[in-house]
Amino acid sequence: MRRLKAIGALVAVGLLAAACSAGKGGGNGGSNGNGSTKATNTVTISNENGALWTCNFSPFNGSDTLLSVGFVYEPLVYVNALQNGKTTPMLATSWKWGSGNTSLTFTIRSGVKFSDGTPMTAADVVYTFNLIKKYPALDLTGDWAVLSSVTQSGSNQVVMKFKHPAVPAFYYIAGQTPIVPQHIWSKISNPVSYPDSSPVGTGPYKVNPCTKSNITYTANPHYWQPGLPKVTKVQYPAFTSNNTANDQLANGQAQWGSQYIPSIKTFYTAKSPSFHYWFPPTVNVSLVPNLKNPLLANVKVRQAMSDAIDRAKVSSIGESGYEPPANQAGIVTPTFSSWLNSSLISKYNYSYNPARAKQILASAGFKMGSDGIMANSKGQKLSFSVINIGDYSDWVASMQVVAQNLKAVGIQVTPDNLSNTDFTASLYTGKYQLAFYDQQTFGPSPYYELRNWLDSAGTAPIGQTATTNYERYSSPATDKLFSEYAASTSVAQQHSIMSQVEQVMLSDLPIIPVVQAVDWYQYDDSSLTGWPTPGNPYAQPAAYAYPDMEQVLLHLKAK
Amino acid sequence: MRFALRRLGFFVITLWAALTLNFLLPRLMPGNPALAMLSKFHGQLGPGTLHALEVLFGVNTQKGIVAQYFSYLHQVFTGNFGPSLDFYPESVTSVIGSAIWWTVGLVGVTTVLAFILGTGLGILSAWRRGGRLDSVVPPVFVITSAIPYFWVGMVLVLIFGITLGWLPTQGGYYVSTDTPGLNLTFFQDVLSHAFLPAITLLITTIGTWILTMRNTMITTLAEDYVRMARAKGLPGRRIMTDYAARNAILPNLTGFAMSLGFVVSGAILIEYVFNYPGVGFLLLQAVQGEDYPLEQALFLLITVAVLFAILLADIATALLDPRTRTAG
Amino acid sequence: MSLPIGMPTAPDTTGQAAGTEPGPVAGRPRPPADHALARMGRAIRHNRKATTGTVLLLIFLFAALFPGLIAKDSPSADAYAPKLGLSTAHLLGTTAYGQDMWAQLVYGTRNVMIIAFVVGLAATGIAVLIGVAAAYLGGLWDGSLSLLTDVLLVIPLFPLLIIIAGYAHGGGTLVLILVITVTSWSYTARQLRSQALSLRHRDFLEAARVRGERRLYIIVVEVIPTMTSLIVASFLTNALYAVLFASSLQFIGLGDPNTQSWGTMLYWAQNNAALQTGQPMWALAPGACIAALGAAFALLNYAFDEIGNPALRPVRRKRVTRA
Repeated sequence: MRRLKAIGALVAVGLLAAACSAGKGGGNGGSNGNGSTKATNTVTISNENGALWTCNFSPFNGSDTLLSVGFVYEPLVYVNALQNGKTTPMLATSWKWGSGNTSLTFTIRSGVKFSDGTPMTAADVVYTFNLIKKYPALDLTGDWAVLSSVTQSGSNQVVMKFKHPAVPAFYYIAGQTPIVPQHIWSKISNPVSYPDSSPVGTGPYKVNPCTKSNITYTANPHYWQPGLPKVTKVQYPAFTSNNTANDQLANGQAQWGSQYIPSIKTFYTAKSPSFHYWFPPTVNVSLVPNLKNPLLANVKVRQAMSDAIDRAKVSSIGESGYEPPANQAGIVTPTFSSWLNSSLISKYNYSYNPARAKQILASAGFKMGSDGIMANSKGQKLSFSVINIGDYSDWVASMQVVAQNLKAVGIQVTPDNLSNTDFTASLYTGKYQLAFYDQQTFGPSPYYELRNWLDSAGTAPIGQTATTNYERYSSPATDKLFSEYAASTSVAQQHSIMSQVEQVMLSDLPIIPVVQAVDWYQYDDSSLTGWPTPGNPYAQPAAYAYPDMEQVLLHLKAK
Repeated sequence: MRFALRRLGFFVITLWAALTLNFLLPRLMPGNPALAMLSKFHGQLGPGTLHALEVLFGVNTQKGIVAQYFSYLHQVFTGNFGPSLDFYPESVTSVIGSAIWWTVGLVGVTTVLAFILGTGLGILSAWRRGGRLDSVVPPVFVITSAIPYFWVGMVLVLIFGITLGWLPTQGGYYVSTDTPGLNLTFFQDVLSHAFLPAITLLITTIGTWILTMRNTMITTLAEDYVRMARAKGLPGRRIMTDYAARNAILPNLTGFAMSLGFVVSGAILIEYVFNYPGVGFLLLQAVQGEDYPLEQALFLLITVAVLFAILLADIATALLDPRTRTAG
Repeated sequence: MSLPIGMPTAPDTTGQAAGTEPGPVAGRPRPPADHALARMGRAIRHNRKATTGTVLLLIFLFAALFPGLIAKDSPSADAYAPKLGLSTAHLLGTTAYGQDMWAQLVYGTRNVMIIAFVVGLAATGIAVLIGVAAAYLGGLWDGSLSLLTDVLLVIPLFPLLIIIAGYAHGGGTLVLILVITVTSWSYTARQLRSQALSLRHRDFLEAARVRGERRLYIIVVEVIPTMTSLIVASFLTNALYAVLFASSLQFIGLGDPNTQSWGTMLYWAQNNAALQTGQPMWALAPGACIAALGAAFALLNYAFDEIGNPALRPVRRKRVTRA
């Protein structure tokens, strides 16, 4: 028996010795780089995807787009949502709107080759658009909801005709639709389920190789921009848990992060002076009232709520200060500050004002009950349940702050933390009283988000699925504003229309924005430079933002 | 022979019970959870996959519950657990395949080590009743066995991983720098990542072995035949090992197998704390991601593994102790 | 989860009952229940482990019943500056959300104690019912009840709990209590059955049968009181498991994150990478409490085993003094 123990002890010591030596060599230090020499033309991404890679790269499959669109496939134009839609020609060199903004002509760049050496032409562009017309499941951006035809004109031009003016759709059609090679895709019998494990595109990288735990991208020798990309290798490991991904960033083993990191200063930036982060705001996270609920249909109740919420505190406590406070006009700042109509803001003057909230409720006929909850003369209490996604712990924490804020003015909200599937099911069908949510798509102006929230085309009766307008807001006047915007290419006119939309947000309060969701972004500039920064927001900086990550990779180079 | 048949029969019945539980649970829950899951994947699933899921969860089926049950059993026995929803379109079996070796390695090695070390310490402690070892061992290990596994893990993470920085605390290996393969760096990397989770498991499970071995050993030492051996003048060490320990260890063997269920449970939490990519961590991910096919398959896998272990332990006990073969 | 210490792991305890039996009584016969309880009280006082366990348990009970006396802050209000360290104003500092950690810890005790006691009582109740019924009814009843118990015993409970809690989309405390009670009674049922079996042929029971008492009467009035000690031990075991299982489920996010409990404190600490960002108390303090409460139950359990089995009691060497 003693012998066994001795052997056991020896084994343990041996393992410890082996383990410790590996631990040191494996880059446990917090400084830049790691034990093995890393060439400075490689960048490693830390983006937790929650699963191992399937090694499918179809640009038309929502789960795979972030791995292929931008790396391997490119759109016609790069549209930067962070710079109010600034455009950079990619596969198209120029474009022109015609005949009342119902036709759009692109001139396709010459001299572009696919990664297998085949030249890319206007025919491929036409083929791609007609492919997604034939198979609607591939039309992720909904191009054909507004297009009526896409044809080739001459040797290098593509003419697109619209059913009705839809200028904002440029962002999706030109900026988000990946162009695929006709000579490959025309041979696929079922493009919807085609895994595309060896993708061929015009983009700066090829997949070489892909395993379950890591994707390595190497530079495409046929890429049309000479001398690019300077970063010739990209490593994209698969992380199944947030903490592991965060760890690799803090160790310096990954240089480009797109992670939610709690207490980021202590966890990350304190570890090295070359570690930085930036969270550009994108859309509003709002308290969504079900406008069919009789009490919530009363605009004064919603006004009181907007006044009662301490947005700054929700941002600093619930979101650790990462997601800035939103404003009731629904304009995301500083991203779209130029759209904010400051005179309207000061006219309505929504701010954290619990006293005024109570006054508004009193003027609406509500009295504080003995249980601390306001009730009207009919005995109806301002007591609601708010559905939330239980998995998003920061939203759960934010809702706790909101609940405390509202309780202080006599409105009781009880959080109901649901699973993702249950939440979306309840939200879409309108089976809720209050919800906490944000829009899932983002665009180069406030139009994209606000139209989703407010246009009645996106709503549906209770019990049926509303695609984007969950609160069931419906106003023909507001709908008209959005269709006017869609018909216009004049920036001045667009701004004037948006001001009227802000007026709607401020006077009708269809939703109550609380904080602003952000792109998660960390970077290590010890060996690579050219990163997007607040002073130079040339692209959305998250590695999961497509096709923006292509722009980031094209700007990066060794120091 | 009859004994073996009886144990085998028990094995089959428990397996059947686990399968039936798996079948009934989603159907009993209010608002069949699978319905929501299927609507999420609407349009993306091929017809074969859809059918497999319907059989597993009883959605969209016109059949009566008995017919559903038999299709379910048939599907399970042909090894078709459907696709994993979190890792779509990979199949459940392939997802589990990549995780299982991590758990087998970690839990298997550590449990055997804990059993050996613990039993040894228990025997020694009982042999030297009233000595220094014995006065320290029981209270210390009573307390350590009540400490939640994950908390010990957290303490070790804090001390060795963060404050001292000696060992890594997350994952199975450095995903961004090492590629799995038969090379020394990878091997070292795996060892260094496995060290803290293994020590945690060791610390928390060893208490049980020590104390139960000590208790049964004490009872055995009071037996007449031990006194006889002492009277005969046999050397102490020989009595301890050949007479007392051999008999005392038998109940421990059965306990070992029965406790395997608990070890697996504890390992789940340890994998969670260390983000160790084994089946326990996979189960938690599956639950959080509402990946029902994966959950079901993992539950079956864990149950079958425990059952096998118990069966093996029973056989071992029967071989070592003739008394159990004739007992009731 | 480790096995409760002191409980024999052999599936069939051979008659070494941790209960008591009334020996030949001189003078007025006292009811058996009184014997057992009084004996227990004395035993607790004399056994060091039992005393420690009892004291710990009482501390937690006090915290659960009168949290306001120990912690002056509200546990849920995000009222303070976040991530403060230890100080006299905040004994354990504040969380990343600005809540007082000491208050959270103290108020969280109530949820844990409720789960421990409700599940402990309910699971023990079921275990007594099934264990004693199986032993007493014998035959086919015994066979099927024993089979049910054994099957539930080997099925790994924690994975089952995770799956059920997952399907239920992590309900609140009530769901946790229900789910844990329904799955965890089998271990103690087995032991109660063994002891009941060994008691079947004792003289006092024969006497009752001869007297013509009905079976139910015998079970309830004669058998169960004799097993008091083991029933108390079973309660302690089940309570210990309840605390560990419930805290674990809350820790991984299958409880309601808005309740005040040690397990949910751990959940929030984990989500905020408390250990990696210099807030270790957030994770260590609730874990230490769980460990302490668990240790209390385990110590009491162990002590009971010693009381029942004199062979296990610590050997105290008498000092030989010269006259």
